[in-house]
Amino acid sequence: MTKLQEYFHTDWSGMTGTDWFGFLLTVFVFIVMVVVYFWVLNPKNKDSLESHRSMLIDEDERKSEKQDGR
Amino acid sequence: MQAEQDQYSFQIVKWFAYMATVYLVIGTGIGVYIASELAWPVLNFDNPYISFGRLRPLHTNTVIFAFGGSTLMATAFYIVQRTSGVRLWSDKLAWFTFWGWNLVILGFAITLPLGLTQSKEYAEMEWPLDILLAVVWLSYTFNFIMTLSIRKVSHIYVANWFFLAMMIMITYLHVINSLALPVDLFKSYSIFAGVQDAMIQWWWGHNAVGFFLTAGFLGIMYYFVPKQANRPIYSYRLSVIHFWALTFGYVWLGAHHLQYTALPDWTGSLGAAISLAMIIPSWGGAINGLFTLSGAWDKLRTDYILRFLIVSLAFYAMSTFEGPVMASKTVNALSHYTDWTIGHVHAGALGWVAMVSIGAIYHMVERLWGTTMYSIKLVNLHFWMATVGTAVYITAMWVSGIMQGLMWRAYDDYGNLAYTFVESVAQMHPYYAMRAVGGLIFFSGACVMLFNVTVTIRRAIANPSAKMAVAANI
Repeated sequence: MTKLQEYFHTDWSGMTGTDWFGFLLTVFVFIVMVVVYFWVLNPKNKDSLESHRSMLIDEDERKSEKQDGR
Repeated sequence: MQAEQDQYSFQIVKWFAYMATVYLVIGTGIGVYIASELAWPVLNFDNPYISFGRLRPLHTNTVIFAFGGSTLMATAFYIVQRTSGVRLWSDKLAWFTFWGWNLVILGFAITLPLGLTQSKEYAEMEWPLDILLAVVWLSYTFNFIMTLSIRKVSHIYVANWFFLAMMIMITYLHVINSLALPVDLFKSYSIFAGVQDAMIQWWWGHNAVGFFLTAGFLGIMYYFVPKQANRPIYSYRLSVIHFWALTFGYVWLGAHHLQYTALPDWTGSLGAAISLAMIIPSWGGAINGLFTLSGAWDKLRTDYILRFLIVSLAFYAMSTFEGPVMASKTVNALSHYTDWTIGHVHAGALGWVAMVSIGAIYHMVERLWGTTMYSIKLVNLHFWMATVGTAVYITAMWVSGIMQGLMWRAYDDYGNLAYTFVESVAQMHPYYAMRAVGGLIFFSGACVMLFNVTVTIRRAIANPSAKMAVAANI
């Protein structure tokens, strides 16, 4: 076994239920994160996501019109 | 203005914002005192109640939970209402949160100087206060989530996502880390032992930084920077990536606090590797905030509140680069247990957390009371005091820490240590004095802020003016 193999060696038979839960949850969350990245960076979704950029500015303008008569 | 006061529950926000300003003065004041104790130990006065060991957790708890917590509660309640277009779900629950939170603060202000502590860093409070903190924190979280659930706007603005991540993770971290067996009202023992206890402690400790002091304050950044600059956020897509990368990544980092200990070697390596990877989302977020000013950098010449917010992002970028570098094993071999760590923490705490909070509080004071600051010159003075104070503090600790590390591991030709520990302590004195001066400058700035905010509020209450409300763009 090379040093690298030794470093990454895992005793799978020694994994407890908690270990498996943590391992699978981590891998699942990682996959979800990768899916989110693809979704966010897909050019098709650019406009819908970036439409929220000015949400705060729009909100101020709405309030100003409603309450200050401007 | 009045309509908005009726539309939203702003009274609770006002109280939390003002108390945050008060706690900033108290927390940094204690910090200056204990920094002075390290430089001039005579200030301990042989009195155990004001000794460094007891006041230090009081300082950290005051700045983190009292100042930081009050700021997070003020801003979360403010932002969730304004971005959802509704009042808080429950005013009564919000007031329970306010008084409960202040009771926790009073509790640790009494017990910590008495030496009643669990001895877990940033989680020193004994078990009755831990339970109270958990209940109050859940009331805050529940009210926030319920307010989101009744929102009139379909989209949940990204700032709220950061607050939500903070609330959920801090609940989880605080409860697990505080699990203990009480033996009497003021004494308990952690259910974890040995290296597991250390790992749980730093899983909490680093995530107190990652979620309480970063995710929540990024929520503040994503609302107040665009608001104060009156510019849309640079990239909404980047903010989404920033959120998920930060939320996924931060929970892995705690092990880097335990390099070269009984913790398995691979755990520390993993913590260091993910720490280095975290530079990417952290800088992405900082760039997102900074680039929001693209095409409007001139605003920094005249808008002193915006200066606080933007400089805080510069410190955020700097400390989120420094942290991963210190997490790597090579650098950690030099930096661990030295004052460099203290310098790094304060680059984040003073430069990032306090600066972004101060900018947000100034912004809210003007809008909540429908006025402008009593003295813009004092805001400017505060900005320079905060910036210079932070720079002096962290520079002193960098030099001191690197010198400590080098002295501790210096050997002579025969393999003996070149310096005794006491010699390294003696060499620290000028830097400890310099750190106290830097802290004093920052603390004085906080006093200026408290004065300015108090006078602004008193004048606004004494002379309510519709014209000023319009000027404040509400």
